[in-house]
Amino acid sequence: MRIIRLLPWLCALCIASAPLALAQPATANWGLAQLMQELAQVHSASASFTERKTVQVLSTPLVASGSLSYVAPDYIRKATLLPVPENFVLDHDQITISGGPDQQTHVFSLNADPRIGGLVEGIRATLAGDLPALDHYYIVRLSGDAANWQLLLQPKNPGAARMIKWIIIRGKQNHLDGLDTASGNGDHSEMSIAEDVSDAQ
Amino acid sequence: MPNKRRALGFWLVLLVACAGIIARTQFRTDMGAFLPQSAPMAQQVLTEQATSGAASHLIVLALTGAPAPILAAMSETLAGQLRQRAEFIDVINGDDQSFAGVQGFVWANRYLLSADITADRFTATGLHAALLNDLGLLGSDLGGMIQQTLPGDPTGEALTLLRQLGQAQGPASIGNVWFSSDGARALLLVHTSAPGFDIDSQQQALTLINGDFGKARRAVPGAAGVRLIESGPGVFAIHIRDTTKRDVTRLSLLAMAGAVSLLSFAYRSPRVLLLGILPIASGVLAAIATVSLTFGFVHGVTLGFGVTLIGESIDYAIYLFTQTARGETASDTIARIWPTLRLGMLTSTVGFSAMLFSSFTGFAQLGLFSIAGLIVAAGVTRFVLPHLVPQGFCAAGADSISRPLRAAIRQRRRLRWLVAAGVLASIFALTMHRGALWDNNLENLSPIPARDQAQDQMLRRDLGVPDVRYFAVFKAADKEGALEKSEDLTASLNSLVARGKLGGFDVPSMILPSLRTQRARQAALPGAALLRERFTQAQAGLPFRADAFEPFFRDVAATKTGPLLSAGSLPPPLALQLGSMLVRRDNGWVVMAPLHDVADPAGVARAIALAGLPGVRFVDLNHESDQLLQTFQREAVLLAVTGSLAVVLLLLAGLRSVARVITVVAPLAAAVIMTAALLTLGGGKVSIFMVVGFLLIVAVGSNYCLFFERSAPDAETWHRSIASIVLANLCTVSAYGLMALSSIPVLHDIGMTVAMGTFLSLVCAALLKAPGLEA
Repeated sequence: MRIIRLLPWLCALCIASAPLALAQPATANWGLAQLMQELAQVHSASASFTERKTVQVLSTPLVASGSLSYVAPDYIRKATLLPVPENFVLDHDQITISGGPDQQTHVFSLNADPRIGGLVEGIRATLAGDLPALDHYYIVRLSGDAANWQLLLQPKNPGAARMIKWIIIRGKQNHLDGLDTASGNGDHSEMSIAEDVSDAQ
Repeated sequence: MPNKRRALGFWLVLLVACAGIIARTQFRTDMGAFLPQSAPMAQQVLTEQATSGAASHLIVLALTGAPAPILAAMSETLAGQLRQRAEFIDVINGDDQSFAGVQGFVWANRYLLSADITADRFTATGLHAALLNDLGLLGSDLGGMIQQTLPGDPTGEALTLLRQLGQAQGPASIGNVWFSSDGARALLLVHTSAPGFDIDSQQQALTLINGDFGKARRAVPGAAGVRLIESGPGVFAIHIRDTTKRDVTRLSLLAMAGAVSLLSFAYRSPRVLLLGILPIASGVLAAIATVSLTFGFVHGVTLGFGVTLIGESIDYAIYLFTQTARGETASDTIARIWPTLRLGMLTSTVGFSAMLFSSFTGFAQLGLFSIAGLIVAAGVTRFVLPHLVPQGFCAAGADSISRPLRAAIRQRRRLRWLVAAGVLASIFALTMHRGALWDNNLENLSPIPARDQAQDQMLRRDLGVPDVRYFAVFKAADKEGALEKSEDLTASLNSLVARGKLGGFDVPSMILPSLRTQRARQAALPGAALLRERFTQAQAGLPFRADAFEPFFRDVAATKTGPLLSAGSLPPPLALQLGSMLVRRDNGWVVMAPLHDVADPAGVARAIALAGLPGVRFVDLNHESDQLLQTFQREAVLLAVTGSLAVVLLLLAGLRSVARVITVVAPLAAAVIMTAALLTLGGGKVSIFMVVGFLLIVAVGSNYCLFFERSAPDAETWHRSIASIVLANLCTVSAYGLMALSSIPVLHDIGMTVAMGTFLSLVCAALLKAPGLEA
């Protein structure tokens, strides 16, 4: 029977990747629409990251680091260098994970499962400044101001909500500097981001 | 008239006895019973599988005609409704519920199922290695895969097992349900409780599916244009039954109407019309009883087919009734024509007797059926019918029926050249025929309509079900033995996979390990205290929480003392898969393990032969079915040839003159040659069914030739003789000609061949033979 697929838990990890953008002068009537508009102007960017994962079964957090790159509207690459090299690529509607501890290539389609699709589509939508898509998948709350904002995303899909409680994306102007996620089972991860290059004006 | 009473009494006793035997007869429809006893085991098992085995329980559904999100919603709604019904064991459409049973089973029994459960696995060193691996995965982007299962399964057995079970590529998924790769069709697999051959239950299942589909279409917004496609063995069986029923009902009604009007015109007596049925009806009853007594069962094909083979016995009554002259009694007539009739009947039975020696059980049954049927029908015509014909009966319409042929016979000196030219042209056409004369495409013989076959192939492709061509096959005395042997085989096949000769394989023991292995795995699990002690050592220096793995300790302890798995514990999808590989047969079990991605068949065959596993064979299914078809063809030709030779020998014995035999045989040969040429005109091919048709041409046509060959004492008798042959031929041509209109290959081919051939036999016999009295 070719019916058994891997359980779609791995979608949780998609959250852990997110690129960034450069600073952009804030305007007077700043809000979600304005933020999205500014984010939409970033066509490509790259950065380095450090990720701290707190896992229930472990007594100490796990730390990983590497580089991120983004090409609008739907290409995201997270290349982990330490502790073990690994590549995570979202290209259009396909996720490819390769070179990890098992040295194998895993391919997933975003369309295959709304739980994966809903989560990754949301991250991509933030980066692309695609507010309608973001609204479609998440309850979106913005706090702070242009100089220091924080976007709280909570999945609308009940299946996705069971796996990911929330995602917080932090930034300054159109530049992302942090991404925190909390999964349904109590694990959480904090990622700090320092960008190198961006084509944003 | 003691003679009359004795004949009628004997006949009635015979009928009652036959009816008694038939009441106890077992009728079988499985094609396995039709195949030769010597057919390759794999072929037999697969044929059975398709009609009654595990795979026959599956119906594939496809939803199409709307955008993917609507189709996905339809799939979920339909699956939800079907899952409520007891008629369906399982409904798999790719959603979570589709796999919940298998995932739950694998999770609960991971320590009995996993091949990695050895004593080494649970030493401090083994556990330490597993934990190190887990730590690496947790830190990676794949960490999500194990986060939830880790506390209960630090050695990762469940994930490995699920990966093994789902090794082949499944269908694509959109919105968490199965789709064809182009997103045009949502796919569902329905597992019915009834097997495919139980057509009534399958029909009921389809009715339920169609009803639920209608409800789902009304419930899902925008789904009004969605269409449902159904496929699978049960669906085919229903389609075949419906087509056959429709064709047979319609065509036999038409044929009957034709025969009734012809015979009414000739006889002008309803009573005699009805009497004409007695020989064939008695023949059929006796034939069923004889086959049942000899073989222990009667195959459905034998029954349907046999009746057409002894259709000739309708002619017997026609000869008797039509040749009874004015002022003559039927008893006088039968005494006069009996020698010819008897020789004609013997000719046919000798022709059919060749079939008795076929290795195909079905052919042998058909041979016996026709012989018994014809002998009894002729006997009833000879000894029973004359007593029942009304005094002074005479077929009033006979004269006008024979008129056209008599006109042709008057012109026969000129028309003979036409026959000669026809035969020469036919021989030329046959020798110039481009390509092979034989139709080697098995699908053309299948009663499954081409459209259904194409649709099924499309859906199989959509589902990613590989067309398995290669198998490792072996027999075992009992189920446990079969499972143990498939475990031994696993080791050899694994080494073939490691060497790249094989992409993968499935064996029954992967789903249900033998009791021997399950006990060994239980024994390999350490006791509770020992496991905790070793785990503490294994954890040293690693950042795992001490209390994180309580579910693991609990589950290992439960498995160590828990019950073992049996076939009954399997969830439906795995039970189905096991049933497709492990089949009960005769008084043992057969294992057919599918081999995937065989790059070098000869190499794999050699490796399996050298693996030191007695009785395990490598089977190439395509090769075997080609061979089966070739055997079938060789036998069909051999039967036709030996049957024809036997006919000639019998005629020699009966007529005692080479010249007379030639007079009888020449028109038959001409008719068969011209028929073959006509059938293959324009690149057409000869099917096996047509060969059976040729045999029928000889059986029926020889009667015409024998009657033509006989000299008649006067013009009236001669005219009546011609009339009876024409009448018999018209009935045959109309019945078989109508069969040729059927869409079922076997009916179409035989109908076409026999209608054409018998008509040509009549014409050739009339033109080539110098009749006994000039008309």
